Amino acid sequence: MRWCVQRALLILLLAAWTSPAQADNIDLSTVPSRDTVQLTIYNSEDITLVRETRKVTFKKGVNPLQFSWANTLIDPTSVELKFLTHAEQLDVLDTTFPHAKSQMLYWNVSSELDGEATIQITYFTSGITWSADYICIADAPEGQMSFEGFVRVHNSSGEEYENAQVRLVVGTINLVEKIAQLAQVPQSEVLQMDADKLRDFKKDATHRFMERAGALGGGKGGEEGAKEKEIVKEGLSEYFIYTIEGTETISNGWSKRMRSLAGQQVPFKIQYRYRPAEYGEQLVRMYLLTNSVESKLGTTPLPDGVVRVFRDNGRGGLSYLTQQSIKYVPIGDKIELNLGVDPEVIFELIKLRAFRDELWLQLHGTSDYRKVGADGVMRIENATLAGWDDHEIFTQRIRNYTSKPIEVEVRRTLPGHVVFRSQLEPKLHDYQTVEFLARLAPAKRADLLLEVVRKQGINAKQSNITPQTAEIKP
Amino acid sequence: MRSRSSCCRPLWLAALGLALLPLSPGVSQARVKLITLPIRQRVEVQLDNAAATLVEEERIVPLVKGENQVDFSWANTQIDPNTIVFRVVAPVGDKPLDVKVLSVSYPPNEAALVWAVGSSDSGSARVRISYLLGNLSKSFNYRAVASKDEKSLVLSEYMRLQNFANEQFGSTSLFAGYGKTFLKPIGLNETKEMLVQKFEKVPIRKTYTCNPAEYGYLDQPQNKLRVPMHYVLKNDQANQLGAHPLPYGKVRIFIDGGQPGQTAFLGEDWGKFTPIDDEMKLYLGVAQDVVVKRTIEKNERKHIGGNVYDHEVILKFEIENFKDQAVTLDVVENLRHVRNEIRGDTKRDVQWELGKETTFPGGVDKERSTFEQVTFHAPLPARAKDGKAEKVTHKIHVFIRNEW
Repeated sequence: MRWCVQRALLILLLAAWTSPAQADNIDLSTVPSRDTVQLTIYNSEDITLVRETRKVTFKKGVNPLQFSWANTLIDPTSVELKFLTHAEQLDVLDTTFPHAKSQMLYWNVSSELDGEATIQITYFTSGITWSADYICIADAPEGQMSFEGFVRVHNSSGEEYENAQVRLVVGTINLVEKIAQLAQVPQSEVLQMDADKLRDFKKDATHRFMERAGALGGGKGGEEGAKEKEIVKEGLSEYFIYTIEGTETISNGWSKRMRSLAGQQVPFKIQYRYRPAEYGEQLVRMYLLTNSVESKLGTTPLPDGVVRVFRDNGRGGLSYLTQQSIKYVPIGDKIELNLGVDPEVIFELIKLRAFRDELWLQLHGTSDYRKVGADGVMRIENATLAGWDDHEIFTQRIRNYTSKPIEVEVRRTLPGHVVFRSQLEPKLHDYQTVEFLARLAPAKRADLLLEVVRKQGINAKQSNITPQTAEIKP
Repeated sequence: MRSRSSCCRPLWLAALGLALLPLSPGVSQARVKLITLPIRQRVEVQLDNAAATLVEEERIVPLVKGENQVDFSWANTQIDPNTIVFRVVAPVGDKPLDVKVLSVSYPPNEAALVWAVGSSDSGSARVRISYLLGNLSKSFNYRAVASKDEKSLVLSEYMRLQNFANEQFGSTSLFAGYGKTFLKPIGLNETKEMLVQKFEKVPIRKTYTCNPAEYGYLDQPQNKLRVPMHYVLKNDQANQLGAHPLPYGKVRIFIDGGQPGQTAFLGEDWGKFTPIDDEMKLYLGVAQDVVVKRTIEKNERKHIGGNVYDHEVILKFEIENFKDQAVTLDVVENLRHVRNEIRGDTKRDVQWELGKETTFPGGVDKERSTFEQVTFHAPLPARAKDGKAEKVTHKIHVFIRNEW
């Protein structure tokens, strides 16, 4: 253990000691080193539960212990001491936070034991984070891909954690205060905060995960060699816990990235999509896959992270396609990767014609209406147009210059009272969004005719779309 | 705290370095180290993505049985460290090796990483390292040389590679996403221009177009329209193109004078991204010798009922060609613009139909017309030998329906 590791230091004062406020300038202390350390790191919040064990020799009577954490980001309200051996002979009499030293506490331990015991200290710290990322490499024919997930642990906590068992919690938790803020506040002030609730929450969380940690075991610590470490994934309540096999040393300032999953020959589908609300005013190419066992994935939910997508370019190298952030993907859910615009598929909406009909006039000063075109209406002067239908005929022109058949899904949102007609069996996506699918052979062009009728003025009776399958004439 | 500068990377290593440190228990703390420096065997630069440049380099990495440290650093370059992919392509020689990346460590405040690589045996492995590199960018430009009769041109497409990435690459394979692959060295801060493709005898149309909504007037009090000229080429196989979409880029336009040394510069324009089967229009300037006077000859309102009216409009074009060659003028009218001229902008689409008094031969060009814009063609004879131009008169007769 090097110098900076000793910042979070346990000191057993063997000298006669009565009160931390006393000016004892000559002291003798021993420094029990860490035996084990376990980090449980959350990615939704900047919080890590540290559980460390040390061996301490007690004498009968009162044993003072000092615990300090200068220049680290430990939340002082969360520090707890527990006896793993001889618990029935050891007891914490009191805990003192000296006013003069903000990053320090003293425990007075009453002991009936004259010998060694294993103690466990737990606390929350800030500054250790983890994140997930993924690399997909599609094969050249674009039917299957390798899908690899990685976890990257970054330590900027100010403390060195050597040979730590590392556990990563997937899922979001609720915190009433940020650990980083608590770590900056003097202990005396922290204790005056709305402390009870906070402390209860933290203790509860600490205990829950510690109990679980016991059940999960400690991995195969210390095993060395050329074997990639396995990352064990287990569900717990609403969370998922990744436990990295063995132990890891993550020095302060460093980060370490390890592979958490490797799916090979993962099948995927290609679809072109026009969904302006999601992807902007463009037709985008998508890779669609599922986080399921049938898709050679599905062993774990996928935590939030960036997916980087490459394709085997068929010449022994890769083509870079895109990178995209994905949100947590539960087991069984879809993964949709937007590759952006394909220059080989041209998508145009061309308005061919616009006209109006069903024009209704309201006679001035009355609630009488006359339809334009009916007998005698041309002679009516004292009337104003009150309702009409706007017709627009479009061609949705799609040109496929790729060497493969393509599937194109189009969604259009049209507010108001609208009738949408197309031969492509349009369906409702929601009350004001219509959706249809088209398929194109390689090197083909399609002119898909659409008609949009917008009912205006008194003709508008609803605020929704009625999709109709109909042949449209240009 | 681990000190990297003293152990893992020689300071004289170039901007992008790969160093290999055989690892055995306790070695990471040692002060005396031996580092092997695998050199690049092959480099490929993939320029097929519009937004990012992917560099792939192959190196032969000697490995010992067990865990090895492979140190990769990129001081003063803009590698996106999250995009670095390490792949073992093949073992070198006959010995089968099982090589895996065990973990990657990122030291603080350094553009570097350390791969822990496990090998089943001692031997060499060919590895491929891929990453996105900033400031190594490409653009396209064209040189178009029109024939003297302006019926065709020679189109040369160039890719310009600008290397401000602060790294040089030896013989590098460059791929633009289509066309051939180039094998060139890329020096520091170097700009390299490469001929991607040369298209001979590409047929072009030289167009003279008037469109008051888009190009406006040359002299509004005299009703004289501005008549810009374009070369129009179609990106399809029938026109010697169509191999791939033409990327956006500057086009320098020349005309061949017919004799060596008589090529003249006509100007330049931005060529837009042109998919296959689409047209690229290159602006040449305003024609001074084709004079078009546009007047609204008729504007009559017909009552339909209440406050709803139809409008009957006749637009008259008096055209003179003072050139020595016959040309065709494209007359484009935006009928929404016409409606706005005669009765103000209602913000509604225009509903229209053409009347019988429209005079242009061949009628409306449907391929080049839209729901609110019509295109007609007017063939114009060359001026007479005495210098006088024949005045050609044409009309567009249109009914604008259901306006209020």
